[in-house]
Amino acid sequence: MNKFLDIIANNRNIFLGVILILLIFIFSFIVPHFFELYNISNMTQYGVEIGLLAFAEAFIIISGGGGIDLSVGSLLSLSAMVIGVLVGRHNFNIWLAVIFGLGTGALGGAFNGFLVNLFKIPPLLVTLSTMYIYQSLALLVSVEPQFGNPMPISKFPNNYLFIGQNTILGIPFQVLIIFIPIFFILNYYLKYTTFGRNLYAVGNNEKTAKFSGVSVEKTRFITYLVGGILVGIAAVIMTSRISSARPDLGEGYNLQAITIAVLGGVSIFGGEGNMLGVVLSIGIIVVLYNGLQLAGVNAIWQMGALGLVLIGSALGHNMLSQRAERRCSMTQLPISKGL
Amino acid sequence: MKKTLLGELFKKREFTIIFIIIILSIVFGILSKNFLSISNITNIFIQISSIGIAAVGMTMVIITGGIDVSAGSILGIVAVITAKAAIAGLSVPLILILGIVVGTLLGSINGELVSSLGVPPIIATLGTMSFFRAMVFQLLGGRWISSFPESFRKISTSNFLNIPIPIWFMFFLAIIFTYYLEYRPTGRYIYAIGNSIEAARVSGIPTKRVLLLVYIFAGMMYGIAGVIVAARTGIVQTNTGSGFELAVIAATVLGGTNILGGEGSAIGSMLGALLLAIITNGMILINLPALTEGLIVGTIIIISVLTDILKLRRRGYQYE
Repeated sequence: MNKFLDIIANNRNIFLGVILILLIFIFSFIVPHFFELYNISNMTQYGVEIGLLAFAEAFIIISGGGGIDLSVGSLLSLSAMVIGVLVGRHNFNIWLAVIFGLGTGALGGAFNGFLVNLFKIPPLLVTLSTMYIYQSLALLVSVEPQFGNPMPISKFPNNYLFIGQNTILGIPFQVLIIFIPIFFILNYYLKYTTFGRNLYAVGNNEKTAKFSGVSVEKTRFITYLVGGILVGIAAVIMTSRISSARPDLGEGYNLQAITIAVLGGVSIFGGEGNMLGVVLSIGIIVVLYNGLQLAGVNAIWQMGALGLVLIGSALGHNMLSQRAERRCSMTQLPISKGL
Repeated sequence: MKKTLLGELFKKREFTIIFIIIILSIVFGILSKNFLSISNITNIFIQISSIGIAAVGMTMVIITGGIDVSAGSILGIVAVITAKAAIAGLSVPLILILGIVVGTLLGSINGELVSSLGVPPIIATLGTMSFFRAMVFQLLGGRWISSFPESFRKISTSNFLNIPIPIWFMFFLAIIFTYYLEYRPTGRYIYAIGNSIEAARVSGIPTKRVLLLVYIFAGMMYGIAGVIVAARTGIVQTNTGSGFELAVIAATVLGGTNILGGEGSAIGSMLGALLLAIITNGMILINLPALTEGLIVGTIIIISVLTDILKLRRRGYQYE
């Protein structure tokens, strides 16, 4: 048992992998239609969208300094609405609209990063405010001029829908062409580039990073910018999959994205976490959601379960790290830090 | 700590907010005849009473350097339970006590997670937020409750000295807790924890117990707010109180409470709530589209924090 705990403590990803396999195993047995190709492809499609948001969240949280982004959901709605309105109401070329949508995401992320880094406003406050702002903008953009009410848009050209609805060799297009490459690129950047090293350094200890010549502001700014772009990509995939854009598209995604990142081993205090852990955690959350849904559990309890998973993973993390510290036996017990 | 009252007053954040409130009131008063009518002013105050009360609790949480995003869900649970109790025929004082007890219990769950188990506040309360919300749904069984007995509705409609009861509650709680925070030892401990939990612990402050107490107080305030919201709106549904926590955090931050902890006051947060309510109410009266509300609220929060930070910078202090 002790040895088992050690493995978990030393390698969280193995632990996450075991949980994921266990969950898939259990649901396959007790829930009919769970382990069928249609459902699995369905799950991965959903996983891509929430996964990109979780990547954004992970990047931002790793950068430390209280980094967190509560505005990803609102920004997703805004980017999706920009694409929808440009195509549906102003007859833009779809790819031009997509570029504008991605640009909206990038701008939104950059605005967060700008406020966090130039003015040193705590990220929680910045993104709380921009959550309001982007949501309000999404509603304003969606207003139908004729009636003066916010309206969803479902007028997307057919040549756009392949992004979210097609499959290649049975694998959904967005998984193979978008998600997996993005995962490898982000993973590479975190692990093997100066930027990645800087990011962990900044997240671990801002001061030492600064004195070692790392630009804290620049590094953090980039994480918010990348986060915004990832949100924009998620908006493109989502509008394509459901071929419509609504101003409330991203509602509730903030909590999910943060939960996935934290479950995946990203420390809320920054400087810790990796992309593989986040991917495994995306798998766990998506399987949990989907399995509960197919088992006929009400959607609201999926959210409740998510809350328990979030707290449980934080508790598990605490227990394991306390264990590790006792092992080291040179430090006292960790004191609960504030936010 | 003796202070000369007037001199301190002008330096205080509260004074700035009152100043802004007066200016805005004059502007809205000129733009719309109805704004300064007695009925509209009472209306504004009734609207903010629940947010103002919850903000008192949130203020203490944020002063410790924490955050509580489960406020809306706790409010929801309390609203459901008290509404059911009212329909079952419980008397009004008992309903209030029930609301407070339920709020306290739920708050203590947050408190235990944060203090004893060491879960970071944002994680703990994000988790309980969704779990409690699921419980609201479970308690309601997917339906909604309305048609409360008249005695229950009276909690929000009856007056004392021509001022509705919820407003009395808000002022009373804001004053009590301002006194508590300023002059009681435990109140000072709360600030000490917010400034540096390590230093507070080393100087012998029972940090865990104080943290627990803060989240319990907060839950209690959400409980009172929950009873008032249920009585005022006359309907309780699955989404009752969702988004409430953000309004409360906005009011608290606007009222001068430092999100990094160690600074803030209950009165300030109440004034922050008042300012937000004046803005939204005034906007409706001068026919600005309601959709811009989020835009304006978000911008105001950013501007208010920005001015704080620039002011601190001028004094040579840097946010860490």
